[in-house]
Amino acid sequence: MPKSNTMRSISRAALRPYICHSCRNGVGAGRRRFATNSSQTPEIYDVVCVGGGPAGLGLLAALRASPVTSKLKVALVESQDLRKARSWNLDSAQFSNRVSSLTPSTVEFLRKIKAWEHLDVDRVQEYQDMQVWDGETGSRISFDWSTETSPFEDMRTVATMTENANLVRGLLSRIEASGDENLTLFSNTTVASIENGSDLQSEGPDLSAWPIISVAPTAPGAQAQSQTRIAARLLVGADGINSPVRSFADISTQGWDYNRHGIVATLALGDPDKPSFPANMRTAYQRFLPALGGPIALLPLPNNHATLVWSTTPENAAYLKSLSTPAFLAMVNAAFRLSMTDLTYMMGMERSSDQFSHEDELIWRLQHTPKQSQIPPSAIGVQEGTVASFPLRFRHASQYISPRVALVGDAAHVIHPLAGQGLNLGMADVAALSRTIEYAVSHGMDIGDLLTLERYSSERYLPNAKIGGACDLLHKMYTIPGQGPITWARSLGLDVIDRLPFVKSFLMKNAEGY
Amino acid sequence: MASLRPRSLALRALRTAPTSSGPLYRHTSPLPSLLPQRSPNNRSHSTSSVSADEVSHFSKLASSWWDPMGPSRILHLMNPLRHEFIASCLADSAPAGSPLPQFSTPETAANLDYLDIGCGGGIFAESLARTIPLDRATSAPTPTRAASMTAIDPTTTLIQIARDHARMDPTVEAHMRSGRFQYLNTTLEDVLAGSTPASASASASAPASSSSPTGHQQFDMVTLFEAFLANCLRALKPGGWLIGSTISRTFPSWILNQVIAEAPWPIGVVPRGTHEWSKFVNPSELYSWAQEGLMRAADTNVTRAGPSALDGMRWKCVGTIYVPGLGWKIVPGSEDWGNYFWAVKKGI
Repeated sequence: MPKSNTMRSISRAALRPYICHSCRNGVGAGRRRFATNSSQTPEIYDVVCVGGGPAGLGLLAALRASPVTSKLKVALVESQDLRKARSWNLDSAQFSNRVSSLTPSTVEFLRKIKAWEHLDVDRVQEYQDMQVWDGETGSRISFDWSTETSPFEDMRTVATMTENANLVRGLLSRIEASGDENLTLFSNTTVASIENGSDLQSEGPDLSAWPIISVAPTAPGAQAQSQTRIAARLLVGADGINSPVRSFADISTQGWDYNRHGIVATLALGDPDKPSFPANMRTAYQRFLPALGGPIALLPLPNNHATLVWSTTPENAAYLKSLSTPAFLAMVNAAFRLSMTDLTYMMGMERSSDQFSHEDELIWRLQHTPKQSQIPPSAIGVQEGTVASFPLRFRHASQYISPRVALVGDAAHVIHPLAGQGLNLGMADVAALSRTIEYAVSHGMDIGDLLTLERYSSERYLPNAKIGGACDLLHKMYTIPGQGPITWARSLGLDVIDRLPFVKSFLMKNAEGY
Repeated sequence: MASLRPRSLALRALRTAPTSSGPLYRHTSPLPSLLPQRSPNNRSHSTSSVSADEVSHFSKLASSWWDPMGPSRILHLMNPLRHEFIASCLADSAPAGSPLPQFSTPETAANLDYLDIGCGGGIFAESLARTIPLDRATSAPTPTRAASMTAIDPTTTLIQIARDHARMDPTVEAHMRSGRFQYLNTTLEDVLAGSTPASASASASAPASSSSPTGHQQFDMVTLFEAFLANCLRALKPGGWLIGSTISRTFPSWILNQVIAEAPWPIGVVPRGTHEWSKFVNPSELYSWAQEGLMRAADTNVTRAGPSALDGMRWKCVGTIYVPGLGWKIVPGSEDWGNYFWAVKKGI
């Protein structure tokens, strides 16, 4: 059978104990001391989700929303304080720098599980057009739905910008609204260890192939005394790139580091040169900067704000972060306007020269740069404390499932952010896994059984590999500087795609999960 | 004879009218035996309907019975469809309206008793047991409406495998403890004769309700086919369903099931020797046997039942096809091509 080589056989040895690094020293002693405790029946849950980010909370909210799965006994383990996330609040003129672009299919999923209404919609921003161009050659492509909609309807949304904190708060609020029956949220709690259970012989069921999770409070004073042991019919790893659940299931990952950092910041924008038409139409901008190692993107937020994502080399990232606010803004504006040569020069300027500031340099160089259409409004302010950077990586788990284990989101795949797909792939995983669980419950299947879980993994593995691979390819094509065959080919490709509506809408549908 | 008949007999038949049991099926225990005492010249049989050769074939597969990638994979994959077919039978006999309402009503309450004849390692029986509500008061209704499940198989090894595996699911294990789910190492004939020692205590705690026998995979496992069908129908309460799946004996089915499915890896999907061509049954044959069986089941010591035994009978039949890479699909009209599900409802 074709699937057999991608799937491990269901031997109990496949389940290995996982002990997190910080607990490795103390756990042995703790276990010995509480030997009587560990022989007792652990509390049994249907689904235990490790990780309370958008993916983990999305799964919980989806399970609680479906009448078929709402009675399942579920638990969530999160090391951060969920109460803080639940009460997150920010002034309407301020925005978190952790922002995601939600595709229409993600929004549709959130609406279906009745979570969307729990988001603060005044803080989200839809956009209907995305301008993407090559900083080397100027080739340009415009992603919008104009070929699919008549001139008389509103332009369809390409994506919706949402702060992750807004999404997390909304999902928590949705879960809260479902009541607390059969629901346990372990907040401020880490996974101390994951081990196989034991056969309770005449006392109860044979749990020797079931993962038993020991959870412990993160508070510094708390010790092993307060560990709680829970058994999971299905253990879901929504626990990020260094997933403990993945380690426990002994699932390997392939991947590499891009040697790039993504710089994020919340920016205030000046007025556009010409007012947008129609008035509520918003545009996202992305310019590939091959000479600097990656694209810069400016994605709209409400009230004329925008979020910046600039992928570049670690050296450039360190340089940009060390600049004063006016110099940083000058670099951002330059990155959307100047030629590669000018930009490379400015990236090497002395940081605090009295005579030659980045601002003056930009003004002078712009006078000698041809005026372009379709560039974003100037960035005029940086929200304090929002400039940050993170390393860009590619990871793909060799499989998403193992007996009684499923991985979702970053635990399963981490991709280059240039298409803003990471969170959307995670939500698509969650939608597929919750559908799989629903199907299993209504068909008498064990939700932790490989025969159930393979439905999830066969639905998600290839699409995720495809999107991740496409982003990787784009990254590699657009980090080749200068003029050359690849540069010409990629520009020709962009121009051709822009002129072929069918190809373009095919690509867009792929990118949006339709 | 402490028969477990009223509560849990039914191999795979589902009954839908819980409150209308006649005196024969009143849930007082022990029941007076109203099974016909068959005289030798009656249409009775003295041997078990189980073929020894087939029992040994399936015993050999025992160790890998529950391996999702093993030789029984194809059988595992058919399971969800069995549930869908059972749900469609229940929907057929339910009054027109909502298929699965949110609240329990007499039409949706979990009040059906299932019997699985020839349960093997428990692939279907365990999945059905999982749909029995742990707490009938608070649980959402399930499509099978199962209240209890009795699964029988003559092979000791397989019953042991089934029991061991069932213990690995706490829900199913709880049902075994409470007696709502039981595996019995016995034959249908012994169950009907009331000579199964383990049955009396196990069934005593089962809540009184209607029977839902279902009969599934491998009707070719049964040799004395006609007599067997009559026994199944005897085990069934009025209004219950006898449900099975088998393979038709046609040329396309021979190509699919003998030539292709049992071909060597990587083409074949089941081990050689799983199917025995001559024991396959066509839907038309099954239909006439079901009619015959209903009449036999209504026979008494002194009279033979006539066509009135067929009053209220329902017949359902739908083909299923395995598409490599996609799995099993229900394809109406494909009954003659190979695998199909069938169901007989006994009149009230």
